[in-house]
Amino acid sequence: MSKQISVGIADMKISRQEGTLITYALGSCVGITFYDPMIKLGALLHIMLPEAGTATNVNCMKFADTGIRETLRKLYAFGAVKGRLICKIAGGAKMFEMKGQGGLGNIGERNVRSVKQILLREGIRIKGEDTGANYARTMVIDLTNGEVKIRTVGKQERII
Amino acid sequence: MAIQKYEDMNSIELDIMKEIGSIGSGNAATALSSMLSTKVCMEIPQVSILGFNEAVHRMGNPEEVVAAILVEMSHDIHGIMLFILRADFADEILKQMFGNETEKLHQISQMGESALLEIGNIMVSSYVNALAQLANVDIQLSVPQMAVNMLGGILSLPMAAFGVESDKIMIIEGKFAMDGKEVSGDILLLPDVTSLNVLMKKMGME
Repeated sequence: MSKQISVGIADMKISRQEGTLITYALGSCVGITFYDPMIKLGALLHIMLPEAGTATNVNCMKFADTGIRETLRKLYAFGAVKGRLICKIAGGAKMFEMKGQGGLGNIGERNVRSVKQILLREGIRIKGEDTGANYARTMVIDLTNGEVKIRTVGKQERII
Repeated sequence: MAIQKYEDMNSIELDIMKEIGSIGSGNAATALSSMLSTKVCMEIPQVSILGFNEAVHRMGNPEEVVAAILVEMSHDIHGIMLFILRADFADEILKQMFGNETEKLHQISQMGESALLEIGNIMVSSYVNALAQLANVDIQLSVPQMAVNMLGGILSLPMAAFGVESDKIMIIEGKFAMDGKEVSGDILLLPDVTSLNVLMKKMGME
């Protein structure tokens, strides 16, 4: 294995040519990968919440809306072309079967919905998806070919 | 002065939280001890205010499979109680409960899950009861929920819950040992910032 760059929670990394980007144990969070095969440029974004709203936070990578926009801006700045971008998403699980009121139980579902809406608005199609259910996922993108792997507990690694 | 953010807390306030955590986990340990009739020890809890990634690393490997019991607190205090049992702790409890070693966290049956959930529920409830009595507050608990999955995924839930207002979370972790054998489990008390101020006021801080 060549170099592996780890992406934390509410974090994003961009790299090109070689190595992998990895984010561990996506629960209700959503991981979003972008890949431009022509220039082998890839990004992995790990968001935690659907939208920034009025939050006066400095870390834009925490939210789906601000995080995706900032990631795309950076990718375009590095030479990515929108028409070539391959986008895949994973995560948004419901880790606990929470009953009762409060938006906590379906935070994963809301994250996925928000991510999809924003990608649609940005004009980017989702090519692969592994979301929902009740287990955590580790997401890895190989920058040499753009392959995205999902690792879960007790299941075989799968490619989306 | 009211606390606006977790990182604003001064050392006296942190000490109060440590004391609360200490009394809470002490009661939880007693509850576990009387249920299983074994000796259960606990360490003095640690209060830490950590960034999301630091918090996950502090707790262990994000991909490690753990059992977690989650209870939501409401009424006077809002927040989450999360009881995390690593494999050694869960296996030890299962062994004591079923009297054999067939039940393991890694291939847990429904029966095993219910057993852990029940133990977790009783421990968390005794923790919260002690806290409520100490601070003279009224706390309602939700129906407990359980998950057996990757640690990182489980921790994403409290982070999402507090993430809107803060880039950090406060965790009060109590560690346990059973029968002289060091086992690894944590009860995390995760109050929101508003409740933190309620607690401080009730504990005599203004």
